[in-house]
Amino acid sequence: MSLPVPRVRRFPSAINGRGLWTLFLRGFTRFLRFAVEGIGGTLVSALLFLAVFVFAWAGDSGPVPGGSFPAFVAPGIVAFSLTLNAYGNAAFPLIFDKLEGMIGDMLMAPLTPGELVAGYVLSAAAGGLVTGAAVLAALSLFVVLPIPDPLLLLAYAVLGSLLFALMGFITGLWAEKWDRYSAVETFLILPLGLLSGTFFAIETLPPLGQQIIQANPVFYLVDGLRGAVIGYSDTSPGLGLTVLAGLTSLFWLIAWRLVVRGYKIKS
Amino acid sequence: MTELPRPTAVTLPPPRPRPIGAVNWVGLWTLYLKEVKRFVNVLTQTVLAPMVTMLLFLAVFTLALGRGNLKFGDIPYAEFLAPGLIMMAMLQNAFANTSSSILISKIQGNIVDVLMPPLSTVELALGFALGGLTRGLLVGVTTALAMAIFVPLSLHNFGLVVYYGTAAALMLSLLGMIGGIWAEKFDHIAALTNFVIVPLSFLSGTFYSVARLPENWQFVAHLNPFFYLIDGFRYGFLGRNDGDLLTGMAVVAGVNALLIALVWFMLSRGYKLKP
Repeated sequence: MSLPVPRVRRFPSAINGRGLWTLFLRGFTRFLRFAVEGIGGTLVSALLFLAVFVFAWAGDSGPVPGGSFPAFVAPGIVAFSLTLNAYGNAAFPLIFDKLEGMIGDMLMAPLTPGELVAGYVLSAAAGGLVTGAAVLAALSLFVVLPIPDPLLLLAYAVLGSLLFALMGFITGLWAEKWDRYSAVETFLILPLGLLSGTFFAIETLPPLGQQIIQANPVFYLVDGLRGAVIGYSDTSPGLGLTVLAGLTSLFWLIAWRLVVRGYKIKS
Repeated sequence: MTELPRPTAVTLPPPRPRPIGAVNWVGLWTLYLKEVKRFVNVLTQTVLAPMVTMLLFLAVFTLALGRGNLKFGDIPYAEFLAPGLIMMAMLQNAFANTSSSILISKIQGNIVDVLMPPLSTVELALGFALGGLTRGLLVGVTTALAMAIFVPLSLHNFGLVVYYGTAAALMLSLLGMIGGIWAEKFDHIAALTNFVIVPLSFLSGTFYSVARLPENWQFVAHLNPFFYLIDGFRYGFLGRNDGDLLTGMAVVAGVNALLIALVWFMLSRGYKLKP
């Protein structure tokens, strides 16, 4: 008995759209499966931050740029939640796949390195965006957030979650154990996120501190989001978008090169 | 064909049972060491990380709120905040130690190695709880030393600092044991941490004086046992308090006694540990 020769499946275009969509859906449904901690946990801690700031502030902390103190910190809390979430969404599944040996299934599929990066990173960033939107909605129940520029808000949120999803992806490639995941989170992501003007105006700082903070890319994310949400920002939106877009492209390139070389995923 | 030499029968004396006194000290010490070595192995994650996080919190909150003249009484905000943050680090890490230890043992199946040895229920409880207590205190001391570099930390009453520090670490170790025994998945512990432990410690007066809250909320804050831990601990450093100290000491001791009884009950029944 002779079987017909298996036919080669041809992809209609340069991009394996179906493969990419499958990988994206896998990542996104995974995110939804852990929504109780992913979204719920982030929401609770965001509201706790708001409550704590409002209780401690109690109206006597001096004048605050951008109107009231709660309105000033709310965009910071959104940015902080979004970045931390996007980082975790990207790093966690990748390390899990590596430890469980499932990464082989992704490497075997007819996906180019670029599609592999896109599948993991876009699903993580989408998760970060969903969480960020949930946090923004929850905070706006308690604080008046006018959102004068929704498009700018979207642009900043997309770039921020992409940037941190890429950082998570690169961490995931590098990490061989969970230790490294939490080490990067504690010693890099948290300091970047917290010392970026998330919760304080940079004019509070001495000039040297201001310069240091302006070297932190998260500063532009926080500042841009704040501009889009309450209409107060320290720098121009164009500069922030340029910095973030540049960094995102750079990290995308690094991630792509690492996957092409099979860094810690191919033997 | 050469004959192999026949082994001569050796008669060994029958093994003697190892006598164990009223307390199995060797076993207890071994369990305790296992619990301590577990977190010492990953010291960066278990002690250094909380220290760094709390320093970041100190910086961020002081920058955000310390401008203007935010003071509580005549105490600058940073000095008010530091004891609260030290306490918060202790609470979260004592809980994390026991809960993760028991849950991981359950999931990996090596919990039987702890249940099989001749350890009584009390010894078992003590071994785990002291492990969590050690991590809590170590994190507390490390965080306090690191903060003392940036903020002047005075000691008003060292005895109270020790009492509240120990009671807090013990309380959260016990809660962690209860959580670890109850949980079946990591999700359960994550939920417990996110939705119970973190809210209780955030809303306990770490970051603000509860005297600033509206009256109804003050009443609610006083229902939170963590409030008494932080308030008493802060009194030990600064000599200022929001609640009544004697009430606080009694509440803390009472909650601990209750938790000890609950842990003992769970362990002796083998709840979710033995089939």
